[in-house]
Amino acid sequence: MSANKDFNVRWGMAIDLDKCTGCGACMVACQAENNLAPVADASNKLRVMNWLVVFELSNKKPFPDHELVYLPRPCQQCGEQPCATVCPVIATERNEDGGIVSQIYPRCIGCRYCMAACPYHARYFNWFDPIWPKGMEKALTPDVSVRPRGVVEKCSFCHHRYMAAKDKIRVGGGSVYVPGEKGRKHSAIPEDGYVTSCAEACPNGAIVFGDLNNPAHKVYRLTRGNAHAFRLLERLGTDTAVYYLSSREWVRRLGDNYLQDEETQKPKRILPNKH
Amino acid sequence: MNVNYNLPLDAELFPEGCERCSFSQFLLWLAVVGLVLLWGLYAAFLVLSTGLGVTALDDYFGFGLWITFDLAVIALGAGAFFTGLLRYILNIDPLKNIINLAVIIGFICYSGAMLILVLDIGQPLRAWFGYWHANVHSMLTEVIFCITCYCIVLIIEYVPLILEQKQLNKNPLLHHIAHNLHVTMPLFAGIGAFLSTFHQGSLGGMYGVLFGRPYAFRDGFFIWPWTFFLFVLSAVASGPAFTVLIATLMEKMTGKKLVSYEIKSLMGKIAGTMLLVYLVFKFLDTGAWIWSIAPRSGLDFDSFFHGWIYGKWLLFSELILCGLLPCFMLLSSSMRSNPALFYLAALLDCTGIVINRYVLTVQTLAAPVMPFDRWVTYSPNWVEWAASAFVLAYGALLLSLSYRYLPVFPQEIRLNGGQAKKL
Amino acid sequence: MVLDRRGFVKCIAGASAGIMATPLPWKLLDDVSIWTQSWPWIPANVRGENFVVRVVSKTCPSSAAVKVRLVGNRPVRVLPDDDHPLGGGVSALAAAEVHMLHSPARVKRPLLRGPDGAFMDISWSKAAEIFAGKLKEAGGKSAFICGDETGSIAEVISALAKGLGSEDVCLMPSEGQCAAKAAELMRIPGQIGYDLEHSDYVFAIGANIFESWGTVVRNRRIFRAATPHPDGKTRLKARFAYAGPVQNNSAVLARPWLPVYPGMQTALALGVANILIAGGRTADALDFGAFKELALRYTPKKVAQITGVDPKGLESVVNALLAAEAPLVIVGSEFGQGAGAAPVMAGFAVNALLGNINRPGGISLLPWDEAVLGGASSRSRLYANDLAARVGDWAAGGNAPSLLVVHEANPLYALPGAIPAKQAFKNIPFKVAFSSFLDETAEACNLVLPVPMGLERLDDVRTPYGSGQSIYCVSAPVAQPSEDVRPAADFLFSAAKELDLKMGAASYEDLLKSRAEGVVKTDFAALLAGTGAVSHEKIKVPEGYSLCPAVLEKNLMQASAETSFRLAPFVKLNLGTANTGIPPYNTKTLRASELEGKDMFVMMNAATTAKAGLAEGDAVTLEAGGRRLPARLRVFEGVMSDTVAVCLGYGHTALDAFSQNKGANVMELLSAVPEPATGLTVWSQAGVAVAKA
Repeated sequence: MSANKDFNVRWGMAIDLDKCTGCGACMVACQAENNLAPVADASNKLRVMNWLVVFELSNKKPFPDHELVYLPRPCQQCGEQPCATVCPVIATERNEDGGIVSQIYPRCIGCRYCMAACPYHARYFNWFDPIWPKGMEKALTPDVSVRPRGVVEKCSFCHHRYMAAKDKIRVGGGSVYVPGEKGRKHSAIPEDGYVTSCAEACPNGAIVFGDLNNPAHKVYRLTRGNAHAFRLLERLGTDTAVYYLSSREWVRRLGDNYLQDEETQKPKRILPNKH
Repeated sequence: MNVNYNLPLDAELFPEGCERCSFSQFLLWLAVVGLVLLWGLYAAFLVLSTGLGVTALDDYFGFGLWITFDLAVIALGAGAFFTGLLRYILNIDPLKNIINLAVIIGFICYSGAMLILVLDIGQPLRAWFGYWHANVHSMLTEVIFCITCYCIVLIIEYVPLILEQKQLNKNPLLHHIAHNLHVTMPLFAGIGAFLSTFHQGSLGGMYGVLFGRPYAFRDGFFIWPWTFFLFVLSAVASGPAFTVLIATLMEKMTGKKLVSYEIKSLMGKIAGTMLLVYLVFKFLDTGAWIWSIAPRSGLDFDSFFHGWIYGKWLLFSELILCGLLPCFMLLSSSMRSNPALFYLAALLDCTGIVINRYVLTVQTLAAPVMPFDRWVTYSPNWVEWAASAFVLAYGALLLSLSYRYLPVFPQEIRLNGGQAKKL
Repeated sequence: MVLDRRGFVKCIAGASAGIMATPLPWKLLDDVSIWTQSWPWIPANVRGENFVVRVVSKTCPSSAAVKVRLVGNRPVRVLPDDDHPLGGGVSALAAAEVHMLHSPARVKRPLLRGPDGAFMDISWSKAAEIFAGKLKEAGGKSAFICGDETGSIAEVISALAKGLGSEDVCLMPSEGQCAAKAAELMRIPGQIGYDLEHSDYVFAIGANIFESWGTVVRNRRIFRAATPHPDGKTRLKARFAYAGPVQNNSAVLARPWLPVYPGMQTALALGVANILIAGGRTADALDFGAFKELALRYTPKKVAQITGVDPKGLESVVNALLAAEAPLVIVGSEFGQGAGAAPVMAGFAVNALLGNINRPGGISLLPWDEAVLGGASSRSRLYANDLAARVGDWAAGGNAPSLLVVHEANPLYALPGAIPAKQAFKNIPFKVAFSSFLDETAEACNLVLPVPMGLERLDDVRTPYGSGQSIYCVSAPVAQPSEDVRPAADFLFSAAKELDLKMGAASYEDLLKSRAEGVVKTDFAALLAGTGAVSHEKIKVPEGYSLCPAVLEKNLMQASAETSFRLAPFVKLNLGTANTGIPPYNTKTLRASELEGKDMFVMMNAATTAKAGLAEGDAVTLEAGGRRLPARLRVFEGVMSDTVAVCLGYGHTALDAFSQNKGANVMELLSAVPEPATGLTVWSQAGVAVAKA
């Protein structure tokens, strides 16, 4: 669990900050797909359940040199998870099949230790039972169970869609893995066969989803050796599966903490890179 | 039957040869305690019936007053295991005069912490998952194991004291049980010391392993971050001082001498010594934090502090005002012989440890890690205070009953000039 | 009995082991863990067969083509329809549409205002009876407001009005209306379209093309395809520049963003024209000479003075336009309305100078769709009626109709505060609202008739403004209505029958079918399946078209109000529309810097804030034309100097808890003036005073 294993398939994202307008469609699509309850007053952001939050980044320069960038933050699906290692009841762990960090709601005791551990604030607690306006529960999807109060939840990379895509292959009699280069296995799911709800919703195509280990996938090309890619808090060693792309240096620098004289770093793969 | 109407109604239940206040006065005191208990119960009812949303906790502050409170009382309750260790294993005999109180305080602290935890976890009905689905990699798992086990040990240590109650002890079976438990006490003291060391350590480890939170993260030895050892040391440095303070508070409230000053002074000396050991390591640790962990994370010293509420004064208070100062005072025999200075030193010692638990819990979470994130502040609401007050009242209740009916203080009769039939 | 140590331990251990050996503790624990997973008050997953239905959103102003996922008969998700010319992703508003079907703000059954002023439930038959009676009574003194400019419902309403002898049919003000007026004045007999698909450099002036201007979802899909992801190596194919007062959703992606004062589109476009003409560009318009004379007066220096734009920045954008193969300039309102026809005309002129009219990646002149129903006004004809002016008349008293029918529009919320809509409503004795939601206007009506939402009814979309080609889409109902509703069209057809009015079609479906098969010449069934019918037919650039220099000049002369600060309203789709309010699923998308509890934030840059003597977080009052707006101040460096940026969509007093009383409605502050020589009412330039509350 705590060991950062190099899995065959590692689902990940490349989020292009040059394309995000901050419109919020991904957040709505996420809530709808994953059955998050709406709230009338959502202005206390420390209490609002959002698996995906769009942060606003500023270059802090005065008008007219001001630049603005929106940064969508799903769960970073760390290779080295601050959260899963601390959970006392194994209610969250990184799945070998795809590297997604799960959250098992019926298992969670609600101690919130994982929330304290996560520097990305990607984890949310059900402070109350979820309530839908009368009748709106009819619009709940059947794919994700509704969480009661007292448990922690977070983005799952729409894991149910992954399951469904694999089921589709299995029903067709196929194998869910296909051999790749150098003894590695890739998922048999076509690149567009499993996409998260947020990535799917974005009209600008700002969120690219795929297997970070599959050279045929777009994310592979976007994240390896890309001088404009970065990850959040790279130097903490969390080895996240969410990469960000920006052509602006100040944006990339905001991805991590730097001392004044330090240079902005490029993402390094913590795993022994087999490619 | 010959009834002395000058004695309180429940005088038959008092420890042999001890005087207590009138029953009505006692009831009045219990009523005050009861009010606080009711307030806390109402808060608990709100939490359990509607959810933790009624507290001031939020998604940034998953931990708040309650966890701080738990860590603080568990540290201060360390007097029980440490005194037990010294008394039963290392055979420092004079400590027998305060060990009973230390055990009761320990029991109150641990059982109180568990009561709070029942409220603090979102799914109390699943609390036992910690055993059933244990994640052996989690410091919290170890905490769950050790705290529950140690609480059982404390019950076992507390039971003989209850059975020694004058009337109960007349029953041969209970008398035997008490006796047998007494004989096995060194074994339980040993187990207690072992369990306590580990969960005190694991509580510290809980923060030290948070590698996503540079404020709390620490390197360490093998699987244990330095906070593991610092928590053990700080607990034993404050537990004895806290026991002394409670004993003194009880003396002030009852108007009786309960523990001789020499014993208190001895406890103070022990606390001071442990505090010195603790501080040596704590300063080394703080240095490593500032000059190694922070720059490694791309942060500087200043980035760990914010405004007044999370200002550097907290660090100064923790390490100097409530660290070095009480350490010096406790180790100086002249200062220790001045009750006012001695008690002040004990109080500062305990405060320093509470600050330590507070900043590691709250400031860790308040400090942003993502550069575009912001500092957030937390202040507990009445529900959290009420639940914490409930535990304090529960402690007061247990101590009051124990003091009134159980032979907690072996020196009481002698110190108050009573005609001791037997010591 | 003597209990020794051994016996004691045995006893305890035996008892513990004994209990543990029974199933009791284990069964209990197991049960407890099951309870905690299945509390009866937590909704359980309801499974069913999955379907996907292609529709075009009638709720989102971008006319986004989407797929609706149904489980059994329940719509549960709005998904993108990447294969549709109006699709490719979903907007924040469209994404929330299935949940809005169950919004607490929905009107659940017909409501009639009783003598005591309160609404009472009535039956549909009663409602039909009252409605027919009122129509008969009012006859030609009926007026109609339609909030749907793309749907055929406008034609139904117009046919009914004609039958009654009324010409009072107005659409809600929109960018499409401004463009239609511009085309009319320029003597272009068609709809102005924008071939974004094939453009390699887009300069948007005012038009917030990624959030509120035109076919937003389509615009964004095109941007996606044209822009490679950054890697430090690949050169961008299409580029995008934006000029506007606020660093809005479009500005964040623009390279560069040119900050300008609000409402300065015409002057800025003339500045562009100036540089182009100075560089030798011409257009073949009839009155190009006069236009040139006008444009040459708008030198970059002068334009900089008027609009506050950085002349160097403007010049670099114009150079980029000149260097591009298929440049396109889009001029529109910064908040989707009220800018008038002049900016569109000026924009047309710039495009003409760039030589891109009816060229790939340029402006496309699309044929207007004609009315199918005999007697009904065509869309272009309906655009010509200016609602704002009419409402002013009604308020003045004399010409107030005796019956007003409002269809899916919320004029009481959406019209500028200077337009006395409330007074007009008072002067009209009987008002009827067809609405899905109990909005401000419905609340002020005598009869409220609940209509199905887009997903629950058969409806159509005719070439939305902004599209580069003619397109006709039919949207089939995907869900059973969740309330006791009737489609407005059906209701109007039966009312017409009741009054013996000839409508030219038997039903709405009949009308759509006639349009599909008779006008668009496409299989109706295919349209129902969700494929839009696209036509690349263009009308020729008319020989004698005009650039209307005289109209432009009059508009440029119009002095803006003398106040210390300028007001820059802007739109965000996640706040919904005037009709929907904030969708329940969208409250979470509002930032802490936009709304805090009931307080909304308005934005000024630091220098402007200092000038106003204010500070971050201050409670402020904006005042214009005697109307006041409470807000709090956010210092945001992405706002033009001397400008206050305010987001639309707040301050609903009706609807539900998700929208109600959150912030204030900036429309209240806007003054309305007639646009010289066009007959439109405009409200794009407003001065405002800002003071500490």
